[in-house]
Amino acid sequence: MINAVLIFNTSGVPRLTKFYTPPQQSAQTLVQKIFSLISTRQASLCNFLDAPELESFLNQSSDDGEKLRVVYRNYATLYFVFVVDSAESELGILDLIQVLVESLDRAFENVCELDLVFHFDEVHHILSEIIQGGLVLETNVEEIDNAGECSESSRFADAAKARKDSYASSNPLSLGAGVVGSRGTSIQTPLGWLTGKLTGVGAR
Amino acid sequence: MATSMRGLTQFIADIRGARVRELEEKRINKEMANIRKRFKDGNLDGYQKKKYVAKVIFTYILGYKVDVGHMEAVNLISSQKYSEKQIGYLAVTLLMHENSDFLRLVVNSIRKDLNENNEIYNCLALHAIANVGSQEMAEALAEDVHRLLISPTSQSFVRKKAALTLLRLYRKYPEVIPAAEWALRIVSIMDDMDLGVVICVTSLVMALAQDHLDAYAVCYQKAVDRLQRLVVEHEYSATYAYYKVPSPWLQVKLLRLLQYYPPTEDPTLKNVLYEVLKTVMNNCAEPSRNVQHNNAQHAILFEAIGLAIHLDTNSPLVNTATVLLARFISSKETNVRYLGLDTMAHLAARADHLDAIKRHQGTIILSLRDKDISVRRRALDLLYSMCDVDNSELVVGELLRYLKVADYGLREEMVLKIAILTEKYAGTYKWYVDTILELLSAAGDHVGDEVWYRVVQIVTNTEDLQPYAARVVFEYLKSPSSHESLVKVGGYILGEYGHLIANDPGYSPIEQFQVLHSKSQFCMAPTRSLLLSTYIKWVNVFPEIKPQLVNVFERYRHVLDVDLQQRACEFYALATRADDDELLQNVCEEIPPFPPRESALLGRLNRKHSDTEDKRTWIHGGKEANLERSSTLRTRKPTLGDVNGTGPSKPEISTDITSSLMGLDLTSSPTGNNAPGMHTDFVSAPASLLAEKGIPRLTMNTNVDRWFNKLIYTPDGVLYEDVQIQIGIKSRYHGHIGQLAVYIGNKISAPLTSFTATLLVEETDALSASFAKIAPSMIAPRTQTQQVIHVECKKPFSNPPILSVSFLAGAHQTIAIRLPIVVTKFIEQVKLGQAEFFERWKLIGGPPREAQSIFPIALNEAGHVDTTKQRQVVAGSAFSVLEGVDPNPTNIVAAGILHMSEDGKVGCLMRLEPNREAKLCRITVRSTSEVIAAEVQKLIQKPLSADAPS
Repeated sequence: MINAVLIFNTSGVPRLTKFYTPPQQSAQTLVQKIFSLISTRQASLCNFLDAPELESFLNQSSDDGEKLRVVYRNYATLYFVFVVDSAESELGILDLIQVLVESLDRAFENVCELDLVFHFDEVHHILSEIIQGGLVLETNVEEIDNAGECSESSRFADAAKARKDSYASSNPLSLGAGVVGSRGTSIQTPLGWLTGKLTGVGAR
Repeated sequence: MATSMRGLTQFIADIRGARVRELEEKRINKEMANIRKRFKDGNLDGYQKKKYVAKVIFTYILGYKVDVGHMEAVNLISSQKYSEKQIGYLAVTLLMHENSDFLRLVVNSIRKDLNENNEIYNCLALHAIANVGSQEMAEALAEDVHRLLISPTSQSFVRKKAALTLLRLYRKYPEVIPAAEWALRIVSIMDDMDLGVVICVTSLVMALAQDHLDAYAVCYQKAVDRLQRLVVEHEYSATYAYYKVPSPWLQVKLLRLLQYYPPTEDPTLKNVLYEVLKTVMNNCAEPSRNVQHNNAQHAILFEAIGLAIHLDTNSPLVNTATVLLARFISSKETNVRYLGLDTMAHLAARADHLDAIKRHQGTIILSLRDKDISVRRRALDLLYSMCDVDNSELVVGELLRYLKVADYGLREEMVLKIAILTEKYAGTYKWYVDTILELLSAAGDHVGDEVWYRVVQIVTNTEDLQPYAARVVFEYLKSPSSHESLVKVGGYILGEYGHLIANDPGYSPIEQFQVLHSKSQFCMAPTRSLLLSTYIKWVNVFPEIKPQLVNVFERYRHVLDVDLQQRACEFYALATRADDDELLQNVCEEIPPFPPRESALLGRLNRKHSDTEDKRTWIHGGKEANLERSSTLRTRKPTLGDVNGTGPSKPEISTDITSSLMGLDLTSSPTGNNAPGMHTDFVSAPASLLAEKGIPRLTMNTNVDRWFNKLIYTPDGVLYEDVQIQIGIKSRYHGHIGQLAVYIGNKISAPLTSFTATLLVEETDALSASFAKIAPSMIAPRTQTQQVIHVECKKPFSNPPILSVSFLAGAHQTIAIRLPIVVTKFIEQVKLGQAEFFERWKLIGGPPREAQSIFPIALNEAGHVDTTKQRQVVAGSAFSVLEGVDPNPTNIVAAGILHMSEDGKVGCLMRLEPNREAKLCRITVRSTSEVIAAEVQKLIQKPLSADAPS
């Protein structure tokens, strides 16, 4: 099963953390640990990381040591990281990350890191349409999109418009000249993870 | 959401605008103080609560600790507005963990949402349970979740969520879910039209089936069928194609599920499965340029190879797979290399011979130096699995060389594996000692205590090895720096066996002492105490260095460490006793060999693999390791025999009853309606027990018996019928082979969906029966489907196979009935003259090769014995009725030969003597096999007896 889904940017700032088995230590330290492990890996290395170092962080008790693996994928400024046990197919998880990204892309029309920040509830909602309780719920992008929309329609009429408004209203603030440091700069690049481009370099 | 919550947007923007962390914290503290105050003041409307809770969530996501808002979140859940409810649920799933006290407060709201007519509310509730489900929730809500899963009115997206929610509850609290009883109903959903539902249910079935293999056995057939439809027939909705691959997740899941079951015996399923696997492997022959497409293909391929290995390591498919794997492990794609090595380790762990893999040994050893640590780990596992007697020296040598440059994270595991391999495949003891000591000196820090304990154990138990070991360890100790583990081994071995080499030049007692004692100062206290023990042993065997040794004891009498001090004092006292004292000698007696025991090393390694949730289907290590593992797994698997444990006693009881009622002298063989001795069992055993073993409860009523009895002596007819379904049989037998056509008709105007037909043969070594192809999963309204069953009789048997048919027509229904496949079906006629008949009749003789019984018969309307029917029954059982043998025309005399593929042909003679006045009939069957005589007697008597329902 999938033990955790983490999204953080290339500076290690978490954008989404979702645990399906409660972590031993704080989520923060875990993200830092994983970040330090994978940020040093070059793009040509594989997308899997055996994580004996992480076992103490994730396992409920140390002696039932199910072997955990970290499967991750890097899209522009974001790392999508899944912590899974040996029952999951590694490549299947890679595909699943792709589905998650494509779903986000549909929901936000050219998703970028900012969307994940401002619409954290919706990101969680989309994730919950794909994974539930650590298992794959749905893999069909259309279905995920529909489920998102149908609950949205009961929420309010023009969700997309609202989203754009909020994006516009937040933009001047976030991209203002005063923003310095890694936490600000990383956000300025929209991800441009259009589905078509994913097959290129960004998909590694 | 954002438009309606300006405050939240502002808050987020402020935080993002904060230039340094301190400003961010300040802003958050201010906001939290405000929220705390607002919550305390109370009187907030839904919108305000939602806004503040959202802010709390955001703060939490940023990684701050939050301690407010739980109560408000609980309140929001019971709101009637979706947006508020949703934020409430989000807060509950994010902020609370499963043991949180607040969860008690939401159980009722969740139940309400589960029962709501609004599917979206259902989903929110299900999702919450799936995330934070506590024991209390599991007990209270499991039924509701199950209902949502199986209800025909549930929408697909609700059922998907319900399936996974149920799975989560099962994982956490297996006892709240009657897994075995729900088995058939849950498995039937695997036939759903919606692939999304199928994926989720497959996940659920996978978890449940691991614990209830037999109860969920039907899923094997379902999985094979679904794979065939996806892979071979390309039958799926286009939206479930992921980069042109039909739902890779589902395929992977199904292929994995099949690996939890022992390879199927059913030839039909096997063929279909091989076809599927072959197609999957062929699909990957031409790699496409699209990364995602390749990924998906490979995901399936690797799982398919895993299954192929599981099914039969000698099949041609595995050969194909080996070729593919060889290509993969030298692929340019790191991911593919990684998985190639992983899968090859699986193959190595299961294969009978490793030649095919050894051909690539060079590549694999090179992979130990891959630039990616993940790949290096896999290569290590593979080398460990593929090591055997022939290549152990090479592999271990390679591993040892690599150990010196390996990553720190890898070393401990490597050391353990090297130690195990060395012990397991040691050709010579010399090599063993050399390797282990080199290991100790090369990777001292990473050597667990088990490793050196084991060395000591083996050296102590192997006398030939002792002088050599002592010499080698002495050489190692001479090097300027040696690791503490090595000093420990050295101390022990030299102490015990140092005297064996003391006469060789260069190994004199004083030299031994100097070398060992020079290490002492760098060692920890426990090692030093071990050395002290060595010295006292030497006092016993090397009197020439006693002064030096006593000197050491003397000095140690004043150290601070308690253990050391005590030892030193005791040893000092012991050493300074008079020379003729025997105490020292007795104390320093040679250590006796250790009792043989299992290597602690393997235990340690295996502990790392012990499973909690989804079980692995294999472990690293050679074939034996896997065999051993599977046998321990199998021991807990219940067998059919367990259920029937009470079998033998039952027929006897009923025999007693019949005999006391009728006052007839009956032979000891059971008679009457309970002929297939198991009927009683299947009916009387508790439902849950039967469900657990995956045995269907037999459908019983008088009609079923009547139909069955008729079919015993006729080839065609109705086997079962009710308002919905009709099952008819046409059969043909030739020798020991038979063919049954089962016609299953849907009598109602709606389709029977999720249709499943399975066969259960209890005496598998005596009778084989299997479907020619997998039954379709649906029967259209008012149509009929035909299924062919192939039967082969190998030995005498007494339990006809059970056909169990289940389908969905409104509710889920299961019909389980015995098929009229009995021994007499395999009898062929034989013509005998009067003389021949009686000659054989006498030759066979009386009991035990004769079975006889007297039973009541019904007379026909005219008050005569119904000879026509009797003849029909006898002839229908394929005996040839012999005319003119018996002088009494009402008596029937018949002969036949029973054909069996393993036990050969067995002749059968019978005689039926009805008595009109007494309304009784005597049946006598003689056969060269006593089992058969009794069985045939029962079978012929059954339809004729007046007790039989007609």
